Amino acid sequence: MSSVASGAIDHHHDSTTSTGISNKKLLMWIFLASDCMFFGCLISTHLIYRLHPPVGTPPASSIFSIELTSFSTFILLMSSLMMALAVNAIQKGNLKSMRASLVLTIICGLIFLGCQVFEFSEFVHVKHLTISNSILGTTFFTLTGTHGIHVLIGVIWLTTMLIYSYTGRLSEKDAIDVESMGLYWHFVDIVWIVIFTVVYLLEYI
Amino acid sequence: MADAITKSGYTAHDEKITARSSLFYRPQAKTGLMSWLTTVDHKRIGFLYGVFALFFFLVGGVEALLIRIQLAVPNNNFLSAQQYNEMFTMHATTMIFLAIMPLSAAFFNFIMPLQIGARDVAFPRLNAFSLWVFLAGAIIVNLGWFLHDGAPNGGWFGYTPLTTRAFSPNHAIDMWVMGLQLLGVASIAASLNFITTIINMRAPGLTMMRLPVFTWMTLITAFLIVLSFPAITIALVELMMDRSFSTNFFEVSNGGMPILWTHLFWVFGHPEVYILILPGMGIISEILPTFSRKPLFGYPIVVFSGACIGFLGFGVWSHHMFTTGMGTVATAAFAMTTMAIAVPTGVKIFNWIGTIWGGHISMRTPMMFALGFIWLFMFGGFSGIMHSAAPADAQQHNSYFVVAHFHYVLIGGSLFALLAGIHYWFPLMFGRKVSEFWGKLSFWVIFIGFNTTFFPMHFLGLNGMPRRTFTYDPNMGWNNSNFIATIGAFILGVGVTIYFAVMVYTYFKGERVKNDPWDGRTLEWSLPNPVPEYNYRVIPVVHARDAFWYEKQHKEEIAAEHAKLEKAESAHGGIHMPFQSIYPFIASLGILIGGVGVATIDSNPDPKVIVGKKLTVCLIGLGIFLYGVYCWALEGNEGYHLHLDGHDSSDTKH
Amino acid sequence: MRLHKFLHNSFTNIRSLGAVASLALLSGCSWQSLLGLDGKQSTFITEGPVARTQLDLFYVTCYVTFAIFVIVASILAYATIKFKARTPAEESAIPPEEGHGNPLIEVGLIAASVFALVIIAVPTLKGIWYTYDVPVEEKANAYEITATGYQWWFKFEYLNEQVPGAGVLTTGNELVVPAGRPIHVNLRSMDVMHSFWIPKLAGKVDMIPNRGNLLWFKADKPGYFWGQCAEFCGDSHALMRFRVIALSPRDFNDWLDQQSKSYRVVASTGSGLGKAQFASLRSFKENEPGVSGDFEVSPLDAWKAKQFPEKNENPELITRGMHLFSEKTCNTCHMIRGYAGAVGVAGPELTHVGSRTTIAGGNLDNNAEQLQRWIHNPGAVKPGNKMWVNGYLLNNIKLTSEDEVALVAFLQSLK
Repeated sequence: MSSVASGAIDHHHDSTTSTGISNKKLLMWIFLASDCMFFGCLISTHLIYRLHPPVGTPPASSIFSIELTSFSTFILLMSSLMMALAVNAIQKGNLKSMRASLVLTIICGLIFLGCQVFEFSEFVHVKHLTISNSILGTTFFTLTGTHGIHVLIGVIWLTTMLIYSYTGRLSEKDAIDVESMGLYWHFVDIVWIVIFTVVYLLEYI
Repeated sequence: MADAITKSGYTAHDEKITARSSLFYRPQAKTGLMSWLTTVDHKRIGFLYGVFALFFFLVGGVEALLIRIQLAVPNNNFLSAQQYNEMFTMHATTMIFLAIMPLSAAFFNFIMPLQIGARDVAFPRLNAFSLWVFLAGAIIVNLGWFLHDGAPNGGWFGYTPLTTRAFSPNHAIDMWVMGLQLLGVASIAASLNFITTIINMRAPGLTMMRLPVFTWMTLITAFLIVLSFPAITIALVELMMDRSFSTNFFEVSNGGMPILWTHLFWVFGHPEVYILILPGMGIISEILPTFSRKPLFGYPIVVFSGACIGFLGFGVWSHHMFTTGMGTVATAAFAMTTMAIAVPTGVKIFNWIGTIWGGHISMRTPMMFALGFIWLFMFGGFSGIMHSAAPADAQQHNSYFVVAHFHYVLIGGSLFALLAGIHYWFPLMFGRKVSEFWGKLSFWVIFIGFNTTFFPMHFLGLNGMPRRTFTYDPNMGWNNSNFIATIGAFILGVGVTIYFAVMVYTYFKGERVKNDPWDGRTLEWSLPNPVPEYNYRVIPVVHARDAFWYEKQHKEEIAAEHAKLEKAESAHGGIHMPFQSIYPFIASLGILIGGVGVATIDSNPDPKVIVGKKLTVCLIGLGIFLYGVYCWALEGNEGYHLHLDGHDSSDTKH
Repeated sequence: MRLHKFLHNSFTNIRSLGAVASLALLSGCSWQSLLGLDGKQSTFITEGPVARTQLDLFYVTCYVTFAIFVIVASILAYATIKFKARTPAEESAIPPEEGHGNPLIEVGLIAASVFALVIIAVPTLKGIWYTYDVPVEEKANAYEITATGYQWWFKFEYLNEQVPGAGVLTTGNELVVPAGRPIHVNLRSMDVMHSFWIPKLAGKVDMIPNRGNLLWFKADKPGYFWGQCAEFCGDSHALMRFRVIALSPRDFNDWLDQQSKSYRVVASTGSGLGKAQFASLRSFKENEPGVSGDFEVSPLDAWKAKQFPEKNENPELITRGMHLFSEKTCNTCHMIRGYAGAVGVAGPELTHVGSRTTIAGGNLDNNAEQLQRWIHNPGAVKPGNKMWVNGYLLNNIKLTSEDEVALVAFLQSLK
């Protein structure tokens, strides 16, 4: 129990609520359930159109660059690890360690976004796959783009937190904020694993 | 309302919390416009939801009457084809998203926190944000009436490819798409809040199986909203991408499949049906026990069947698509699940009858509406079972039979329950009671008008009249039923007018009543009326399912307990109240401006201008939104403490 | 003024309803006509096995729900009356029973409802498989047609009937089929979603772009049936109607032979246009009905009469109309087999349009007056239609009264 280690604050039980789970965390969980449905619909759309390609659609594997995507997937997975360390650090009251982990998380997120920007521009300019010239482009860019926006929002959120940790707005008693953010970040990561599997890997089976 | 709350007789002084000095202006106004724009009080937000919902209910009602005038006689030319299509599209959109859902939300907001013994919802400012985003969405959906492009005319279901750019080139559909997305955001945000509130902010002792049934139905409805609205939001996003960025989701020439829209829409659309009816069922489950003076019969079964309906509600969407050629196996599967969902629905009706059985029924206006609900909902349920027989549905689908069916469950069901709820909780909200004579009169006029309108439609449909047709030939055999339906619609209109005229009269001049006028059973009736801003002087401890009923029967024990709790509470620093905030309103204002920009302005700017008119408006909206959100985050969720002086107990029962 | 008409109309309607009712009683007429449920698209009057299966299933659901209704409603009514508090004292008294429910009753009621649903479920499942496609034993005898929905008309293609040099036999808005044979209809759409519905023969199935649907029906005996689009498809959805004419096998073959011919050329006699009347078109009220009682009593005979040339044809006028057909660019959208240049496929094919009973998507009787009304201003008959928007308006097509009369004569001659 980290509460023993940190002394006063119990990070795993909120005595002001009926369930002991803090309101923020509960809200985040339910939001993520809702977000699951958002991604569920987009992924279904992609998979349905994958099964019914119009005549003349080039195979997706001739467009994808699996090496780059594998690398960015690995980076995003690592960012989840960093995020977990950040949550752990602030629950122990170790602001300095939390900042370091947050910075690494942000960097990982940015690398992932960079890879995506590179990938998109290569698809459009080199592979001639655009959002409007084929159904594959339509579903691919919409789905991965929506995920990219989630990562971008996460990065902005993390950066805001990092700044707050210097101005004193974020301290050990706000660990729940970091933890809720962590839930979001892990979720975005898990969604990517699903996308990586059904959008990319599936094409190579 | 403002007066009612400020004058409700509590004397209090507040102390600022100075733990964190805030740079931000925290509005303090308790009356006037500013107090409403900045309110975070769930009761005021609920009241505003109610006012907006009733306004749009009247708008939707007028649209319905115009539709009925057009169809009164064959080959009428009262409305053009285009106007008629706008009318039925907007009638459905308005009634579903802008009348019944927000009216339910008004009750969720006002009643649910009271029923669970809470002082507010979990996230008061998010709650205000939901309200204002709802209003922004409502404005954008209705904007077309005032613009050159006209109101949306693609049907409330917006089937592609009719709603794609190729077949609906102007901005009417853009407004519909944008407005519905915002309404979705508002509904989801509100529901996240309600779920958190119900799960986390129950009074001590209020276990889940002691929750009032209305609160249970709020919880289930909120879950349905959270899980089903993403489907329509994604469908709308895809349509918007198609319309704005020439993607191919529904573009047939590039391999898009319009059937996908139908599926996504009904994956949302069917749970939506239960989103509309479950709150009504909850209200009925409160009213029947109160006026029968008996506990609800089979509480666990009623709750479980509600959850069952919610769960099964996600597995029946394709019964709206029996005619889309899904194939035998899929059709059979969805026919069976649809029949299955009739069981928990039937169970509820049995339990309601069980509740009044052996009771002492006092036939007051809310009870009249509640009994009317059971009759009409039962009828709508039966025609629903008829639809589940897929081959028979092939004849009924998209005919007036369906129109009859869903008006029986939506007016006879949802709306009757909501009208019952307004009567029932009116004394609690405003401290006045509607006259029994006028209440009952409005009930009978509405009841008769409703049946005159919609009963003949069953036969119209079976006689082959399709829905959404602006005209029909005189030799088709549809003349009499249509004419009767139009007369009925006007009777219904008169009934609704009486109902609301009486409500408005009562609000200002009605008979004042004491607390707990109906001898209620649930916690909200333990409060003084009108309810003070902080709701509960002392958070009660719940000992039984009908908590207030138990309290009334164990007065001494409860009084002693309250005294103890009160002491403990004031030792903790009094009643914590959240500060008001303007930022949810500002963020929503930004959304409104951005939404108008996206939905109504052409996007072919002069190539010389880098930032076109559309982009400018959108960016201004985005800027205001971001300003609102950041200030909202930075101002923090601070509040102040109220210390109630030891005044006499005239406003509370304790 | 309008109100007056409302009242007058409804009064007449009610009076005629009364007359029909008493007539029906005297002649032992069906209950459908007694209740006014014998409309042209009534689902209560079935003329084929698919619609009959659907109606029988509907009756099953009616019986079951009615039985449940009688039981539940009488209990509810009894409870409401019996337990109503009649005095204020009674109202405020607390009833002795504080029952929270009875598991035995609950389980019993659930079991009973499940049983009731099973009664419906069995014929439902049977019906789903029966109505989906032509039964195997009748497959060999089935006749295949492709129906395609357009905004706002239907195209019918006879896949088995090849016309030399012109692909398969194609008609519009009036589907002629052999009675007594199962008809397999492939349903397609070229623009938005439509739905194909002939209530007396079969329930509807949607026509969805980029999706192949099918429907089957069989007409018991020769007859004339009303159908209509049943999926909202834009401005004139209400006016997207069609007819189905079922013929005996011999009549059907005759019809096929006739239809497979190229268009009927009426030779000019060189006698001039002397007798032609160019009276301008009477003005029609907005949305005035375009159907008369011609097809009420004996529609099939009226249809048959349409198959033969009109008696008082004016060959000069017809020839002039024939030239106008390409001068006014009608031919870019409408096909007339044998007519050089008339190869358009955007509109209904008109090779034998004169032999149809209706025009403009089943909305107007096919007679000279209504035909002229239609080509005079298609937008006033069917708001937003392509011939008006993409034809007349876009190409600035203007027709004089003379043009209209000549074109009408030509189109009427196409038997």
